[in-house]
Amino acid sequence: MQDGLVEQAQRGDAEAFDSLARMVGDRCLAIAVRILRDVDLAEDAVQAALITAWIELRTLRDPSRFEPWLHRILTNACYAEARRRRRWSEGLRILPVAGASASDEYLTVDDRDLLERAFRRLTTQQRAVLVFHHYLGLSISEVAERTGLPIGTAKSRLHNATKALRASIEADARGTVPSQERLA
Amino acid sequence: MTASRDPDRLIQHFLAEGAEHLQDQVYDAVRADIEQQRQRAVIGPWRMPIMNKLVPIGVAAAAVVVALVVGTRLLGPPASSGVGAVPSVQASLAPSPTAAPSAVTPSATVRGNAPGPFVFKGVGDGPDITVTIPAPGWYGEQPDGGTLVKNDKSDPPDGSGMIGPWYGPLYVYGDPCQWSTTSPKAPVTTVDGLVAALTAQKSRDASAPVDITVDGYSGKSIILHVPDDASFGKCDQGRFGSWDIAAGTNDGPDRYHQGPGQIDELVILNVSGKLMVFDAGYYAGTPAGDLAELHAILDSMTFKK
Repeated sequence: MQDGLVEQAQRGDAEAFDSLARMVGDRCLAIAVRILRDVDLAEDAVQAALITAWIELRTLRDPSRFEPWLHRILTNACYAEARRRRRWSEGLRILPVAGASASDEYLTVDDRDLLERAFRRLTTQQRAVLVFHHYLGLSISEVAERTGLPIGTAKSRLHNATKALRASIEADARGTVPSQERLA
Repeated sequence: MTASRDPDRLIQHFLAEGAEHLQDQVYDAVRADIEQQRQRAVIGPWRMPIMNKLVPIGVAAAAVVVALVVGTRLLGPPASSGVGAVPSVQASLAPSPTAAPSAVTPSATVRGNAPGPFVFKGVGDGPDITVTIPAPGWYGEQPDGGTLVKNDKSDPPDGSGMIGPWYGPLYVYGDPCQWSTTSPKAPVTTVDGLVAALTAQKSRDASAPVDITVDGYSGKSIILHVPDDASFGKCDQGRFGSWDIAAGTNDGPDRYHQGPGQIDELVILNVSGKLMVFDAGYYAGTPAGDLAELHAILDSMTFKK
């Protein structure tokens, strides 16, 4: 069904694209929120990605590859939004991601706080590989496809991101992270 | 949190939390935007192979066409329509099927159906261009220019098709592989300018241009090649591109090629003062009959005036 909608949309059918967008939009938002740690920015990124996807849709040769293709566009849109945020929001306090659940018994409130801060200290590119790998459960090659990286680079970025996250958490737990770094 | 806990599991649990529902307003905003946004025309959904061994054929074909053009000029008036003077491999490979006139309304989309007219919708204020499909098996797409592909097969080793029109100004890359860093500051806006830029383009092994007249519009035709040994993976964004219609957009070439060995016959015209180009592409393995049909389609081009 999705392939058919892609083909219709490639022929300029805006209605088909709208249906397609509604099929994939929630997942796009979930990815963007987790990369950007901000719902408003994530919505902007998803909107930008969907519009870009519409414009570029005819360059997609294999309709069955629509979602990975869209995720790559979304990743770039997230990077762009992150750059925009850096220009505007220096000094803002960290806020929890809207919609966060506190029902997970595996994570304590302190865990979430530490992870949130540690996650925000990562680069957007590091967050992206973590999200695709740990949230979507994608393999390294799939992560590479969605982030536009060579497989080796994706693998090392994932390793470094995990290492940096862990180091950041441990440093934060020891209270050695400078206060400025606690800012988003 | 302790370092002894599995970090992967912690990350997974952490990432499992968070918003997962995109608001309707976003969909509405996207819908409103795309209603105003034209999709980028993709020039070249077909792929093509092989090359060096075709150079002699191309050169020979060009020579035949030159002879035909000269002969036509010496022996009689040019046809009132069609691209009879386009450097055409058909001249050396197979006779062109006759494109029968038809009173059928030109179609904007064909799906391998019966022969008949097909219209390439004019881009911008450019005129619609009607061609006649001489045989079954051609697949066409619209709008914003268009494509016609034989058997809906653009891949090597035997695909064939045509695509266009593009209207100038066009930014012709100095190097189609390293296009991101070789885009010119100034576009070409004339037939001669485009021919010169393409001839100078790295690694294209361009033929000598041939003067042509199509449906009363004068211009030139030229044959370009993508090297057999071109490695697209080493090119910018994996694309081997000829030109862009807007510099600085960073969205890649508007005419990009689909594989090593592609052969492109370009019909470049001055249409009421505006640069226009069509690209007919094929491969070494393209059947002679398909190639003849492709040239028959080129020959049948008429402009809405």
